[in-house]
Amino acid sequence: MRLRIELLRFILRKLTAALPLLFGVTLVSFTLTVHFGPDPVHALSGKNPTTADLAALRRELGQDQPFWIRYAGYLRRLATLDLGHTETTGEKVRDLVARTVPVSALLLGPGFVLGTGLALLLAMFAAWHRGSRLDRLITGASVAGMSLSFVIIIIALQAVFGVWLGWFPVRGWEVTGPASYLAHVTIPTLAFVLASIGYNTRFFRAMLVNAMNAGHVRTARAYGAGPVCIMFRHVLRGCLLPIVTRVVYSVPALVISGSLLIESHFSIPGIGRVTYHAMLSGDQPVIMAVVGLSAVVFAVTATVADLLCRLADPRIRLA
Amino acid sequence: MSFARTACATIAALLFLAACEHSGTEGETPTVYRHAIDGMPASLDPAHAANIYSATLVVNLYDTLFRYRYLSRPYELTPNLARGMPDVSEDGHVWTIHLRDNARFADDPAFPGGRGRAVTAGDVVYSLGRHFNPSTRSQGAWLWRGKIAGLEDWMEAGADPDQPIAGLRAVDDRTLVIELTEPYPQLAHTLAMALAAVVPREAVEHYGREFGVRPVGSGPFQLEQLDESRAVLERNPHFDRGPLDLTAEGYDPQRHDQLGLQALDGKNYPFIDRLEIHFITEPTARWSSFIAGEVDNVMVPPEQSGRVLASTHPVSFQPDIERDYHTLAEPEAGFVLYGFNMANEAIGHHPDEEIDRANRALRCAMRQAFDWQERNDTFYQGLGQVFPGVIPPFLDAFDPTLDDRSTAHAPRQARRLLDAHDWSPETLPRLTYGLESSVHQRQMFEQFRARMAAAGIPNEQLRRRAFANFGDFSRAIAGGELDLFLIGWTMAWPDALYALQLFYGPNAAPGANSFNYSNPEFDRLFEHAARLDDSDERTALYRRLNEMVIDDCVHIGSLSRTRLHLWPRHVLMLPDREMLGGYFLRFVGIEAAP
Repeated sequence: MRLRIELLRFILRKLTAALPLLFGVTLVSFTLTVHFGPDPVHALSGKNPTTADLAALRRELGQDQPFWIRYAGYLRRLATLDLGHTETTGEKVRDLVARTVPVSALLLGPGFVLGTGLALLLAMFAAWHRGSRLDRLITGASVAGMSLSFVIIIIALQAVFGVWLGWFPVRGWEVTGPASYLAHVTIPTLAFVLASIGYNTRFFRAMLVNAMNAGHVRTARAYGAGPVCIMFRHVLRGCLLPIVTRVVYSVPALVISGSLLIESHFSIPGIGRVTYHAMLSGDQPVIMAVVGLSAVVFAVTATVADLLCRLADPRIRLA
Repeated sequence: MSFARTACATIAALLFLAACEHSGTEGETPTVYRHAIDGMPASLDPAHAANIYSATLVVNLYDTLFRYRYLSRPYELTPNLARGMPDVSEDGHVWTIHLRDNARFADDPAFPGGRGRAVTAGDVVYSLGRHFNPSTRSQGAWLWRGKIAGLEDWMEAGADPDQPIAGLRAVDDRTLVIELTEPYPQLAHTLAMALAAVVPREAVEHYGREFGVRPVGSGPFQLEQLDESRAVLERNPHFDRGPLDLTAEGYDPQRHDQLGLQALDGKNYPFIDRLEIHFITEPTARWSSFIAGEVDNVMVPPEQSGRVLASTHPVSFQPDIERDYHTLAEPEAGFVLYGFNMANEAIGHHPDEEIDRANRALRCAMRQAFDWQERNDTFYQGLGQVFPGVIPPFLDAFDPTLDDRSTAHAPRQARRLLDAHDWSPETLPRLTYGLESSVHQRQMFEQFRARMAAAGIPNEQLRRRAFANFGDFSRAIAGGELDLFLIGWTMAWPDALYALQLFYGPNAAPGANSFNYSNPEFDRLFEHAARLDDSDERTALYRRLNEMVIDDCVHIGSLSRTRLHLWPRHVLMLPDREMLGGYFLRFVGIEAAP
């Protein structure tokens, strides 16, 4: 009971502390977008505008308003989740985000889970057999994976599995159920796994090797504990904090930014592609919504990461 | 053990769900054509359909009064929503257009009872008028500004759609009268543009800002689904234009015999139940998707042209490509060109005649220093067509006998010209070359700079300034921040005036005249030509205007790229990727796939 109250207080405290962070992030990003971001007026004004046309369009876009009024309006919209309309299509930004974030999550979720899980397993093997051929093989393959261009991986997978073997669609997102989902998600997942596994394996291995040098691990070995028991119960627990932190902190980018390359090359209607096009066209309501929501998700993630660290290591106080 | 059980149960559940997903699809299979385009439409509101991607969808979701004949080249106008071509008064000021009586908007909740209603002349008035309402944020108002009597007054009075517009009247449900302030023969072309598509007021008001993603029109298709990956259009059951008359559409046995279009002649169109338009921006993905059979057409990416072509002069395809696909190599309805900022006195117009002459010599020297053939070979696989001036070869007014020295690579002459006007590295101005940020554009800049250096213009005199997106690039041009820039110009109608307006004084930046070219004689002749109907006199004027632009060395150019298209043999069509051509999709037919 005491722990629950402590947890609840902790969450409230963290979220309250996140408010200045949110204010700062939104203010900086709004300032940058308004003053240095792409100007949508010329892209929205057709082929032969006059100066008066441009001025009228600026008024329509609210660009003639003072900065603080615009910023206050943005904060109000963000707080009420009434994010306005996109400047290009006119669609409600809230609907756009609600439509595209799940697609990105469904697209990148499997790759994220598989990539992390596989990297952890490989890192465990490499760490356990440190210095052996297996370790060198895994480490070498990781470096090779890190050196490969993401675009090359995507194009090669499309050519092999989509064109040559014809097992999966080359691109698109025509998901109507589990079978079509599996068909469309497989190549992107493979690409994501191949692109991320190298970095993750190297990082996890370094953490695990460090933890294996700890005294309590040597003691466990001396007691005759088996490799699985040692690895999962003693080594992994010992280095769970950096691993959890790394994994959890990659979630906001996954949920909000999506993966621009994957979504572009596979023509997938996710939030990454939408954000990229918004940046190109200067669609400020979309850009600001994504930045604002990213800040919110980041604040929540930081809280979740702290909580998980507390669960992983009871010595950490929820102060 | 329990893990194995769980895994088996999961796999079984997935297989069951997969089976469910595929059940219920029995019955007649709809005919589907899957069309790939290389960009994404921004909005499906006709008032915003100023680019190819939006226009491709809009002309299939909505009706325009006129359209272009499917197969005729050069392009020819033909009635669409209109019953015939317009009756134009003797003085060219009054246009009377009669509408067909069987056009109906698609069913939509915006209408009472959800049933679409007949399209009337009042809808045309409303659709053109809304371009002049600031809240529409129209990208097409410039087409009719100052041309239709009373539009500006109506706009200043609040652009109330319930108030009449003096020069734009629906006499009855089927008769539209347009009164012009001066003869405007191009009007018929503007009324064939996606920007002029007819919208129902109910839908615009019902959906408000979201009208751009919830189109309601009277075209051959209606929107079923739209996201950033594709648009799915279903046949509009209310669309009735009678049978396809191939002869009237410009069928030429010599050019079209191999396309199998005869099988469609005399049948009611559209011939497909569903039109899917896939937005595939990555060239490799587009090509792979076509080879895998996921889409039914491809505009061949430049890096694949070597794979599909047997020769480039003349263009011929590899035998295996000819065997498996229909092929088409067609020049684009547009061109690319370099332009100078004539408002900059360091290189453009100058009040001092001597300096003005020297500036002209510098521009002409830079034009002679540039090597269009090298550009063509490096970036367009040698398939582009280089031509002098700005009247591209696909237009009637194109003059094949025009002196082409303005596009010839002549570095020695360029040097001589610079010397003759005392231009030296010390006196040459420092010029800002603007570009959109990309590897491709950067390479083009380096090539340009190398050619200039070979003619004696040092690298330091050309400074590169990159922009992250087209909007910022356009803003910099409009603001006079760039002295030299490469732009593309896509023709929205097949008339040289559309290209020549790039140099018309009143269109100066931020308008289409990005070069800020100012020549009263040019403007006078342009205005005169703009009032003339298609005639030898007008063609001669267009050519004269073209020569003036060449003589003044306002630009370096031009080049029309060649598009290579492939599509499977069971798809019966003649594709057209250009701004004018989205209409072909209503005529696509599908034979049983092999």
